[in-house]
Amino acid sequence: MSDISTEKYVEEAKRGIADPVLRKALSSLQDRFGRGTAEAYRKLPEGPDLRLKAHEIRERAIENLDVLLETLTAKIRQNGGHVFFAATAKDAVDYCLEVARRNRVRLVVKGKSMVTEEIGLNPALEAAGVEVVETDLGEYIIQLAGEKPSHIIAPAIHKTRNEIADLFVKKLGIRRTTDPPELTQAARKALREKFLAADMGTSGVNMACAESGHITTVSNEGNIRMATTLPRVHVAFMGMERIVASLDEYEIILRLLCRGAAAQTMGTYASYIGGPRRPGDSDGPDEFHLVVIDNGRSRILADPQFREMLCCVRCAACLNVCPVYGKIGGHSYGFAYSGPVGAVVTPLLTGINRAKDLCCGETLCGACMDACSMNIDLPRMLLALREKLAYGDANWQVEPAGRAEGLAYRGWSWLIRSRRLYELVLKLAAAGQRLLPQKKGLIRRLPPPVQGWTRSRDLHPLVKETFMERWRKRK
Amino acid sequence: MRTADEDRFFRRLRTALGHAPDVSRDAKHLFAQGPSAEDLQMLDRIDRRSKADRQTLLERLIEAGKPINLRVISVPDLAAACSAVVAVVGEKEPEWGESKSVAAWRHPLVDRLGLEEALARLQVPLRITEPIDPNAGRECDQAERERQLAGIIASFIGVTAADFCMADTATLVMRNRPGQPRSVALVPSIHVAVITLDQVVADMKELFALLRWDERYRPEGLSNYMSFISGPSKTADIEATMVHGAHGPREVHLFVITELTG
Repeated sequence: MSDISTEKYVEEAKRGIADPVLRKALSSLQDRFGRGTAEAYRKLPEGPDLRLKAHEIRERAIENLDVLLETLTAKIRQNGGHVFFAATAKDAVDYCLEVARRNRVRLVVKGKSMVTEEIGLNPALEAAGVEVVETDLGEYIIQLAGEKPSHIIAPAIHKTRNEIADLFVKKLGIRRTTDPPELTQAARKALREKFLAADMGTSGVNMACAESGHITTVSNEGNIRMATTLPRVHVAFMGMERIVASLDEYEIILRLLCRGAAAQTMGTYASYIGGPRRPGDSDGPDEFHLVVIDNGRSRILADPQFREMLCCVRCAACLNVCPVYGKIGGHSYGFAYSGPVGAVVTPLLTGINRAKDLCCGETLCGACMDACSMNIDLPRMLLALREKLAYGDANWQVEPAGRAEGLAYRGWSWLIRSRRLYELVLKLAAAGQRLLPQKKGLIRRLPPPVQGWTRSRDLHPLVKETFMERWRKRK
Repeated sequence: MRTADEDRFFRRLRTALGHAPDVSRDAKHLFAQGPSAEDLQMLDRIDRRSKADRQTLLERLIEAGKPINLRVISVPDLAAACSAVVAVVGEKEPEWGESKSVAAWRHPLVDRLGLEEALARLQVPLRITEPIDPNAGRECDQAERERQLAGIIASFIGVTAADFCMADTATLVMRNRPGQPRSVALVPSIHVAVITLDQVVADMKELFALLRWDERYRPEGLSNYMSFISGPSKTADIEATMVHGAHGPREVHLFVITELTG
């Protein structure tokens, strides 16, 4: 699997918050896409409730995943394509390496795909001596910069045009310009050569349709269309959950996917791929391989609390409304998937204890669910993860929280059950707080062990007279 | 074809779903065995669409094309379509090389435009993408494909037809066929497409109803590669600024012939 740095969430989040350029970029992104997507849902002939229907479709597909995958596989094989089922990230990567080796592949052009980030495809191909070129403009920029994507749809959102200009001068040898059309043209020129020379193209899968026997890829740039048309070999990587039964269901999912991803009614290119080039065709790959990836998804499937997460189509609409993502940026999440979707799916894929800060960092405000093109209840699953962190869970190998935390909460629960005792403690605290450092009527620092509360904010002091006291007096 | 790994994969899947791990389940109930009442209604509506209805669809298509920079032009007949294409060839300059050349599909509608003669007057060569002879042997086949692709790469304009066009999203729909390579609509800097008015459908629902249940289209289905193209290639990856021509064509011109049926 690729690098996982979920442990650095707090550290990275601090860095993100302190970065004014990133904050400005994120706020303009959220302003545009957050609102645009909500508007696009409202303009649907069926209204935003179409998301509820989509949720049902996705749930039914997940419940019949075995049958749908078998149907898709039979059709693709019938059309001369290969289908490989990978239990782990390593299996998927090894299969691709083997295909590359057999076809003497030296240059791979990649369409943007988060699942290939998840399995760590690029470093493995590079280690095998194969040149890998990301072709989505945003991915290409961050590959040249040696960074990682910070947004599922807009991977280079954290880069300014000035940074990109410097990067292109250094890596592509162009005359310096900060004009986005000119920069795009420079990348277009460099990547066109790569497309024409590549031996293998790789892509993700936005959604597959079992009935018709096709996978589909959606892009605005046309890079995926290039990568699946010109090279001799096409390898598509698909999370095993990305499938629906029939075209009428697919139609609903695609419409919502385009709206959720970029507030569009339709992406510029959608390709339905059912197999390799046929005899008589002038273009298209000689070989088509579909790699269906489990890599921890069957464990999510087996848990009724988290099965709903497999309805996700990775449109990234939740990133564009999340107040936490909007401040800390995508790199803080330490894995391929960022934002609210990452806060749920990353702990489930990489270990709940290891990625515990991700689900604890979200606010539970519910904006993600309102924005979700598939109406997934992300806040519910964030809470379920926190519950597992508190009490432990053998199935997910979660260690329960420390004894001290348990004792503290038990003490608290005992305290708030007695009104009089509670008020006494409040009185004592109200008297004691005068000893704490204050500024402009706000408490600057709390004493240990609760000092964390005031690490990055000032607290309002307790009032002299509580609401209950005033209520009683009123009567 | 099934390997032990694959069996394990499916056993794990069925176990997770709470089914017997070794028994393949029946798929029939998940797929419609025939058109629904709604589908039939839709097919009937498409069949009975009047000239005026089609004109309304065309107006919807033109409107939907505007925000995505797709230029939709209605032309009365083949001769007008031909001059419109030739005008684009005359006006535009090549992006990569110096000389102008045009690639076009071997397709009944494109053939009828008479482009070869018209372009000869401009001294612009036209490269027609002929179907590859499937019996020519592997090496012959590969040489011919490479020659064809080189021609497409050298062309600054690609001319294609399409199977359908969805009005609501201004989307061209193309199914893969010999002689009609998808690179013609992808590699040249400018894509010119020609369709007839009766190929315009309202939306994706109508398209899928036709592909799934209309006997004229059902046998071919989606083919092994179906493309949706909605306007020119674009990107907003640099500071969210919209730029056309990321990798695919920078411009798409769609000519709809109104007085001709396909």
